[in-house]
Amino acid sequence: MDPVLTARIAKPGSRGIDGYVADGGYGAWKKVLSEGWTPERLTEEVKKSGLRGRGGAGFPTGVKWGFIPKDTKGKPVYLLCNADESEPGTFKDRLLMEKDPHQVVEGVILSAYAIKCRDAYIYIRGEFYDGARILEAAVAEAYAQGLLGEKIFGSAYSLDLTVHRGAGAYICGEETGLIESLEGKRGQPRIKPPFPAVSGVFGAPTIVNNVETLACVVHIVNRGAEWFAKIGRNEKNTGPKLYCLSGQVNRPGVYEAALGLQLKDLIFGDAYGRGMKDGRKVKAVIPGGASANMLTAAEIEDCPLDFDGVAAKGSMLGSAAIIVMNEDTCIVDAARNLSKFFSHESCGQCTPCREGTPWLHKVLDRIEEGAGRPEDIALLERICNQMANGMTICVFADAAIAGPLSSVKKFADEYRHHVENKRCLVGPRAEAAAVTV
Amino acid sequence: MSANPEPPKAPAPPPPPAKDTFTVIFDGRPVEVPKNLNLIDAAKLAGVEIPHFCYHPRLSVVGQCRMCLVEIEGMPKIQAACTTPLKDGLSVKTTTEKVRSSRAATMEFLLINHPLDCPICDQAGECTLQDNSFGYGQQLSEYDEAKRQYPTFDRTPIGPNVIADMTRCIQCTRCIRFCQEIAGTSELTFLDRGGRTLVWTHDGGPLANEWSACAADVCPVGALTVRQFRFRSRVWYLQKTPSICPGCNIGCNNSIEARENVVYRFLPRLNPDVNDYWLCDHGRFLSESLNLRDVSKATWREAGAVRDLPVPAAVDRIAAEIRGAIETKGAASIFFLGSAHLSNEENFLLRKLADHLGCPNRDVVVDRGKPRKIKSQKGWITGEEAAPNFRGAREMGLTPGRGGYGLEAVLSGKSAPDVVIAADAEFGAAADDPAAVAALRKAKFLAVAARRSNALTRAADVVLPAASLAEKDGTFTNLQGRAQKFERAFLSKPPVRAHWELLLLLATALGWGDPDWTPAELRARIAEEVPGYGDRPESELDGGRLLKKGDFAWKGAL
Repeated sequence: MDPVLTARIAKPGSRGIDGYVADGGYGAWKKVLSEGWTPERLTEEVKKSGLRGRGGAGFPTGVKWGFIPKDTKGKPVYLLCNADESEPGTFKDRLLMEKDPHQVVEGVILSAYAIKCRDAYIYIRGEFYDGARILEAAVAEAYAQGLLGEKIFGSAYSLDLTVHRGAGAYICGEETGLIESLEGKRGQPRIKPPFPAVSGVFGAPTIVNNVETLACVVHIVNRGAEWFAKIGRNEKNTGPKLYCLSGQVNRPGVYEAALGLQLKDLIFGDAYGRGMKDGRKVKAVIPGGASANMLTAAEIEDCPLDFDGVAAKGSMLGSAAIIVMNEDTCIVDAARNLSKFFSHESCGQCTPCREGTPWLHKVLDRIEEGAGRPEDIALLERICNQMANGMTICVFADAAIAGPLSSVKKFADEYRHHVENKRCLVGPRAEAAAVTV
Repeated sequence: MSANPEPPKAPAPPPPPAKDTFTVIFDGRPVEVPKNLNLIDAAKLAGVEIPHFCYHPRLSVVGQCRMCLVEIEGMPKIQAACTTPLKDGLSVKTTTEKVRSSRAATMEFLLINHPLDCPICDQAGECTLQDNSFGYGQQLSEYDEAKRQYPTFDRTPIGPNVIADMTRCIQCTRCIRFCQEIAGTSELTFLDRGGRTLVWTHDGGPLANEWSACAADVCPVGALTVRQFRFRSRVWYLQKTPSICPGCNIGCNNSIEARENVVYRFLPRLNPDVNDYWLCDHGRFLSESLNLRDVSKATWREAGAVRDLPVPAAVDRIAAEIRGAIETKGAASIFFLGSAHLSNEENFLLRKLADHLGCPNRDVVVDRGKPRKIKSQKGWITGEEAAPNFRGAREMGLTPGRGGYGLEAVLSGKSAPDVVIAADAEFGAAADDPAAVAALRKAKFLAVAARRSNALTRAADVVLPAASLAEKDGTFTNLQGRAQKFERAFLSKPPVRAHWELLLLLATALGWGDPDWTPAELRARIAEEVPGYGDRPESELDGGRLLKKGDFAWKGAL
């Protein structure tokens, strides 16, 4: 597949509007306005394309847009571009924003038009300082060229776009946490229902879409829904996809491929990861960011990287952050690392998550440091099971237990070795002297 | 054209009247509940307990504590009851294994970082965490790590009336929501996040709104406690008695919490029409003033010396003075002064006595106080009088009768009674004003009933020892016209008697009334004689329901 979303990123001056327009940029927006597309037609086109949200949940984008009530009772509709890319292992949106920001801006404009939104925001994570600066420059250029603002190109449509920087919290990537944060409040997810499409930011109907999702909309308009739907493994998993490959592979990075790329191809393919570093074996793969269950080396056989393919393996594609661990990785250390992250990022409103994530981290820390007890393994499982599946307002807790719980289940022997021998089974600390407790 | 004319249409049956209740099925048992209730309250109405911490009926629903977990038919995951909208046919399961284990899980999570030192915690005995732990928790926990500490945020005053201890906090945010949504002052907030979350003031400033102790009231644990009450008494030793706040004329329903004839605190009683779940700090902290007393004997002053004498003898002496004045100068030479601090029954007795003697000179006064505000269910109420019962005293007839005069005439010297009977030495600020006392003292004979000495008692010829609010029964009529009953928390120590007892003694000595009357019987006479008091519903008299700190509902109240 020829690159679609990343077609321009290596070009010199890919950020500027002149280069973007020279490459046919904003053609989709001009097409929609000059051909007199109605918002409904645009939504229909996106529905036909089969585009599913690239942020993690994989919900069909057109269907989501359709949830906006027909009668909004005089309230405005908001579009929020979720650029709070904070799932560990994920760095695809950053690439799009920093290297081809106008593609993102055009995607936002088109999608805002589709949902009759007059005020759109790009919520970008605080750590992406460069991304925010680049996007702000791009938005200013778009205003200067009349692509944004009042009565765009003499049409009746006006749109304002604001870049808003977060303050650095993982939970603000959850759409209702993002909404609270955008409203100037503490970033805490809201109780659902009501869903954002009915009552979101400032109490008005709101759509939150991921950066990559919005970028896809540009190409759906340019080349048609049929073209988009033909890319991908099947009609439920369509379009081009950015994969973030990291870990002990030879060539980590962002790769674009049709949705449904085989996981093994991504790791070993010449166009992608080019195999494991130093020829080591694969031990485990996290296929969808820190929130996804780990897969074992056996499970990565015939694992198409799309929403349904990874789900069939008992994990999820999530943000398509593929983290590869080799045989020298201590799985307890990996789980400890994950649990530390989630302990640090829990917003603290729900009891099980606020109390459970630090507990999980403390127990994993103890096992890794050689102070584990035989009953700790059952304890880990129990803590995990007590945190998830409806115990909390949002799915953060479900994400927090994914790594630890799947590793306990799939690598039980290694945990047992840790507890019994007070040291790692593999890795740099495998031979260290036993810790006396 | 059709030959068959259409048969006349039968009138459509009227649509069934819209139900104002939902049928909710609790563990298989259908119960009709009002539509606007939260599921937790609906369950309570149905006699089903759903344990919870963060839910409070007057505060927004946040669904954070995850204690009220139930199973809802048709939903695969466990649900928080507080955030589940009520609807017709909703089937709720509260006794399944999944519910039991989920609640036990939440309890375990809540307790892993909670200091399990109930014996030295002031909340013990009225702690929702304690109660729910016994009801829904498990004995043992496998938590074996260090407990979370909050150096500098433990046992620290967070305002003039509240001590905060974040090690005990369960992050339910009731106090934060109280300050935002009821007080409207928004002092409190969450700081930090995750396991390090704590509640504190935004800028480190004080939690000092007019209702700050209510933030401690809504706290289900010992994280916020009231400074004045902290470590004064174990709550299970305290006896609750329904009472009325004496602080202003709003007449907030409260309970006197007393032990061994000592008042330890006031707590609000739930009355949606008056004070709802709240009390202002001013009224709340009047509680301990009820314990103050330096008049505990009847005294009489003769030839410059002050002597003790038994109360009946003192009353007889007053009666003799009154009879003497009537014989020499007539009943118009007497002045009866009631009090906005005394009950309707007492002011009624005083007026009846004056009527009996044919004396038109009677009055009651009230001081303007700092306006006090309280948020009822229907909105803010402002009380501007510094006494609870001016309206009631007036309605009992304590205004100058035909040809009579009031306090103003006496104080200005326009009228000079021979005998002044002040039923309450603390009738107002004038009682401590030397000029006013001197004016009253111009009478040949001055008798007062008192609990605390002041300029007036020091000037009086006879002082009778009178009971405090906690030591007697009665009713106050608040600014809304609501006659609300307060009850006796404990008996006064002899020879101290309630004002109504003293007045009744005097009345019978002067040939009116029955010495066996009780406040209830006096109330019945008021109902017969005083316009507007005939058909007061019992619910209005009784007022709100008792509450305990931390919880919003006691004895199944909503």
